[in-house]
Parts: sequence; structure tokens; C-alpha cells
Amino acid sequence: MREPPYPVALKPYGQALVELARRRPEVVCLSGDLTRQCEVDLFQAEFPDRFIQCGMAEANMLGVAGALARCGHLPFVHTFGVFATRRPLDQIISAIGYPRLPVRIIGFMPGISSPGGPSHQAIDDVALMRAVPGMTVLDVADAIEVRQVCTAIADLPGPVYVRLKRGEVPVIFGDDHVLSLHRAQVLSRGGDVALFASGMMLAPALAAARVLGGHGVAVSVVNVPVLKPLDTSTVLDVATAARAVITAENHLVSGGLGTAIAETLAEAGLGRPVRRMGLRDTYAEGACSAEYLFGRYGLSAQSIVTAAWQAVGQAGPVPEVHLPAADPGEYAPV
Amino acid sequence: MSDPGTRWTVPDPARLATLIRLRAVRMVAPQGFGYLGQALSSAEEVAALFAVARPGVDRMVCSPGHYVIAFYAAAAGTGLLPDEALAGYGQDGSALEAIGSERTPVLDYVCGSLGQGLSAAAGFALSDRLRGREARTFALVSDGELEEGQVWEAAMFAAHHRLAALTVLLDANNSQVDGPVDSITTIEPIAAKWAAFGWATAEVDGHSITAVIAALTEAAERSTRPAVVICRTSTRRGLDCLPPDADGHFIKLPADLAAAAERELTARLERADA
Repeated sequence: MREPPYPVALKPYGQALVELARRRPEVVCLSGDLTRQCEVDLFQAEFPDRFIQCGMAEANMLGVAGALARCGHLPFVHTFGVFATRRPLDQIISAIGYPRLPVRIIGFMPGISSPGGPSHQAIDDVALMRAVPGMTVLDVADAIEVRQVCTAIADLPGPVYVRLKRGEVPVIFGDDHVLSLHRAQVLSRGGDVALFASGMMLAPALAAARVLGGHGVAVSVVNVPVLKPLDTSTVLDVATAARAVITAENHLVSGGLGTAIAETLAEAGLGRPVRRMGLRDTYAEGACSAEYLFGRYGLSAQSIVTAAWQAVGQAGPVPEVHLPAADPGEYAPV
Repeated sequence: MSDPGTRWTVPDPARLATLIRLRAVRMVAPQGFGYLGQALSSAEEVAALFAVARPGVDRMVCSPGHYVIAFYAAAAGTGLLPDEALAGYGQDGSALEAIGSERTPVLDYVCGSLGQGLSAAAGFALSDRLRGREARTFALVSDGELEEGQVWEAAMFAAHHRLAALTVLLDANNSQVDGPVDSITTIEPIAAKWAAFGWATAEVDGHSITAVIAALTEAAERSTRPAVVICRTSTRRGLDCLPPDADGHFIKLPADLAAAAERELTARLERADA
């Protein structure tokens, strides 16, 4: 594990898809007029014959992808998360989900990482994709995981949705980190709070855990890159050992990680107070920076610290979080 | 239908159209209502499709899943399905669902949610080109589906990518749930729209089996553009005993009417065979 501020990687996904495509001739790449933004300009340059420009027509793109998968190709479909899930939901269900075809849907700009306002903020994509029977849903945390994701999902049966941060992607894990599709990863063990985080919320979760630990609240931090199927045994194992459970997701608290964890605890009959960090039945807004939005909508390390402090009934003032500022070319959570 | 080894023959396409109508009547009769109108309007189109498509090579897509009754009937009429299987149409536990699904035993693809089939057909044609596979993809699309935006997304995509191996059979029966299509949304001029989208177009009497076969054959000979064959049809065609006010989208077929339909169509087959 590295310490913040984190170094950043550029186009880790685009490079990883090219490397997979070199080994796997059945890989085809579909883009909905967001080719450079989704890093697949790299694929287009190396494999122009396997690159399919679909234009701004997501419903058709998902339908074409389903038919290609039916014929034995391995389609990776690229656009922003909002356009990948909201607009073509019926097409995903009818043409891909119901026939359980191996289409890989890659949605960039998760949650409020886009300052572009509600039209561009995929705050509900995980909820929508979790509701598709047979869909695997991933929200990976850093560039080390992104580099492994194409190969990791290549041979999964059925459809996969992956939400990916666009642009500069932090490098949080060490180079020896292995992305597992089967096990959520326990990054630290502490008996007070079980803190489950996915995607871009891993960095603030780690920062929050460090502050809490320094003030007598021991935190288990669990990285949950696979939201469905959820590694329920690790969730229950960690939650059982804690007094309170916190979930942190760059998404609505309904239908995503927080819901999945709460369902798991309830079905197992494990009673723990649960605090879900995320957007609460609201849209966000357009702004200049994602950092502003993460702070405003409760996706900061400070918000996690406050929730954990209150969940375990800790006495005294809530500790303040002071995070290092990021220089250009670095990444720090809010 | 494109699976290697699939075999069928159509010695008499006009007779197959009548067989499609007769079997559709038999499938709908037990419940007394159903998607008979779709079989009546598309009987010649589906018979022509089975006559023109190469078994085990060409691909067949039915975009409006309600039309799957006509394909079940054609499959039985050409020996792809045993006649007894049709008794399961729309029944509990049967794979012959009234609206096509992944369990549908014939066709390369059928959609239940309307307006999606042309995208899949374009995907098939694209796959065949990527693989260098010499095959055609035929897609049955209904006129009501032209109200769905995805059809036009797919039409633009297919023309832009010059998917010349793709042919659409457009069943223009002017029927949808709430009434005649032209009373719900003006979709005319249909041919000019497709032409403007870059497609080769032909417009025929959809109940003339020779005209439909000729148009499909001509479309297959084009080498640069996808083609659409617009078939003008009626949901009451070929069954004179139907009352003139029958709701073509969802025809009611009480027992006495079913018996009359059976007599009419059986007699027509006997006359043709005489």
C-alpha cells in the first residue's frame, strides 16, 4: 500500500484492453462517440478492424454488442456510465442480460467524479446493473486493479459492468496487489468499526481509518471491488468482529454497496448499526471540481470519520481530518 | 436457422403461406384469442423468407416478438418442428411462448421488447463481415416499430457501415395496439425515410408471394447497401370468415369462428392440391 498523495497513472484501462486484445483475437471494441475519453483510442490505433464506432446511439450499440457476443466475439462496450446504463437499460436486459451474453460494459466517470451535473453523473449505475440477473458488477479502486480488470473479466460467464474513473487514476496498491473477483480484501483489522469501501471511496476510507486509529477507534478497512456477486463471507466475518458497520460508495446509498452489505447482514441475522455514506435520495449538481462535490455530498474522509465516531458512541469531539494536498500529477482524496 | 446442419425445403411457397395461416388458427383457437393477425399479415413474407434463406447459412431475425407465431407455423410447415409441438403455443411450461423469447426454438434472434431486432441483425451482419463469412441476415420488422428511435439508430448504423448483407422485411400492416398506425403516429413516407437513411428500398404487395420473393432475391444481389422490402399487408388477409371489424393486433377467435377458419383454410389447401 502506498501513502497519499498517490502517484497517478494515465490510460491504464486503454493499455490493458490493448494487451488483452493482442492475446485474444475475439475481443472487439465498441465506442459511443467517447473514444479518447474512454481510453480506447489506443485500441482503435492498434486494431482498427476490430474497433466499431457506434456513434451517439447507445441503445443500438448495446443491441449490436449482444449480437456480436452471440456470434462468439468478446465485445467491450465503452461510454460514460450514465449513457451505458440509464438510457439503454431495456437493451441491456433484453439483448444481453436475459440471454446472459458475455458483453463487457465499461462505464466511465462514476458517481460525482464528473463535475458535469446530474446528466453526466452516474449515481445510480450500480443499482441498475445489480438489478440485472446474472450481471457481474465491479467498481475498482486504483490503477493497479484497473490494469488487471480486462484479463480478470475476460472469461467470466455472462455480462459484466465495470465503472471506471476517467483521467488520472491513483496508484494506491503496491505492484504485487492482485485483483480478486472472488474475495473482498481486508486491508486492516480493527475491532470497533468495519468500513467497506468501493472504487473511488477506498482512498478516503483509508485516510479516515488512519485518523480514527489515531484516536482510539480501531477500523477494519475492506476493499470491495466486486459489488455483485458480493463476497458475503468476508463481509460477515469482518462485520461480526466489529461494533458498527460503515459503507462508503460514490453512488446513491440505495441499490449499491451499502444496500448489498445491509442485505447481507440482515439475511444472516447479524445485528450491527449500519451507516451508509453516499448520496441520499438526491441528485448532485454541476460544479467546477469533483473535490468540491465529494465534500458537499458527504464522500469525504471527514464524513466517514464523523459517521464512525457517532456509530460507536465515542466520547469527545470528532477528530479532524487533515489530508496532504496533491501536487499536479498526484491524487489525494478529499 | 444459421446453425450448420439446419435443413428445410419449401417446394411451394404459396402453399406454405396457407399452412402458416392454418397452423396459426390452430395455435390461437384453444385460448380463443391471440396474435393471429400478425400471422395473417406476414404469412407470405415468412413463407418467402423460408423460400429464399439458405438453411444453415443465412440468419433470420424476428424483431416484433408477437410475430413468432408465424415462424412457429412455418417451422412446422417445413419440418423444422413437429406439428404436435404447436399445441404448446402459449401454454404453461411450453417453450413456444406467445411472445418470442430465448426459449424460441426457431430463428437466430427474436425480441420481445419492440424496436430492438434491427440492432441485433446489424450485429450479425457485422460479425459475418469481420469473420469473412458469406451469409445474409434477414430481419422481419413491423411498421409500428418504426415509432421506436432505436430502429433509426440501427438503420443509420447499418448504412454507415455498409452492411450490404442485411435485408429488412418490413411488415406494413398499419396495425398497432391502439389502432391503425397512421392514426397513432404518421410514419409515412416509409420508403423515403429508409432511402434518406442510405438504404436501398423496394415496395411490394406483401400478399403477393412472387413479388416478395422477387424483391428479396433482388435485395440479396445488391453489394453495397443494406436493403428494405416494404410489404403492404393486412391483418385480416387470407381469412375471409373474419368479421370486418376484427382487431388485427389481438384477434378474438371463439370456437365457432375457429371452426369456420379451419374449414376455409383446409378447403383452400385441398383446392391447391387438387
